[in-house]
Amino acid sequence: MTASPTIPEALAGADLEAGSVHLLVRQELYPLDAVFAAAFTFIKDCWVLVDRADAERWKIVLTPKAAGRGADELQGWIGSYANELLSCAYRHRLAKENRATVEAVTTQALAGALGPPTLDELEDFDFSNEAFEDPLGIAQSWEEKYAKKPKAEVAPTDEDPGEGA
Amino acid sequence: MIELRFHREIYAGEAVDEAVKRFAGFGAFELVEEPSHWLVRFTAKTSARERQVAGEVGNYALGASAERRKGAA
Repeated sequence: MTASPTIPEALAGADLEAGSVHLLVRQELYPLDAVFAAAFTFIKDCWVLVDRADAERWKIVLTPKAAGRGADELQGWIGSYANELLSCAYRHRLAKENRATVEAVTTQALAGALGPPTLDELEDFDFSNEAFEDPLGIAQSWEEKYAKKPKAEVAPTDEDPGEGA
Repeated sequence: MIELRFHREIYAGEAVDEAVKRFAGFGAFELVEEPSHWLVRFTAKTSARERQVAGEVGNYALGASAERRKGAA
């Protein structure tokens, strides 16, 4: 077993006789879904085996399909895998964090696609909800607030200039 | 003879079975169940063939296990 010159010995190593290289990654940083996703991009060129190194770490073994690979090339494979794994783990994390948002948007889109409510649904709908209290009139529209009142609503005054003319 | 060890926490048993059935025509397979691993022993005419088929069985089992995880999520 040979240690990789650029990746720490505790994380990676190569078996030149078997023509394989392995990487050890922590489970809490790299979920199994990310390990699988990264492995998918390598199964065309490598045989990939995932195992558990211990209770906290995955062990990923890559064996390039073309025999007779040197240490440098093996190191290149595991380096590429490590990069891909990092990318997959990050995307996995983003997807997990944004799941609620994606679900909410999808639900709204599907609800909209169902079309307008039926008469039965409208009949069952509860319209009794009062609007929230708005003592300062903040929710009032500009048109409502500053609209000119119709003349009929203006209270007549005692001295109407029109009458005396 | 070459031996493959598939961790039961990582690989679905059905996925390993499926992989073995898929490559059954390339040699003799023996399946052994261990507490932590599924063991697959494979024997073919040449060691080069054993290595190649065992590797492909591993890739197939990995893909099938990932598909099952995706379906279960």
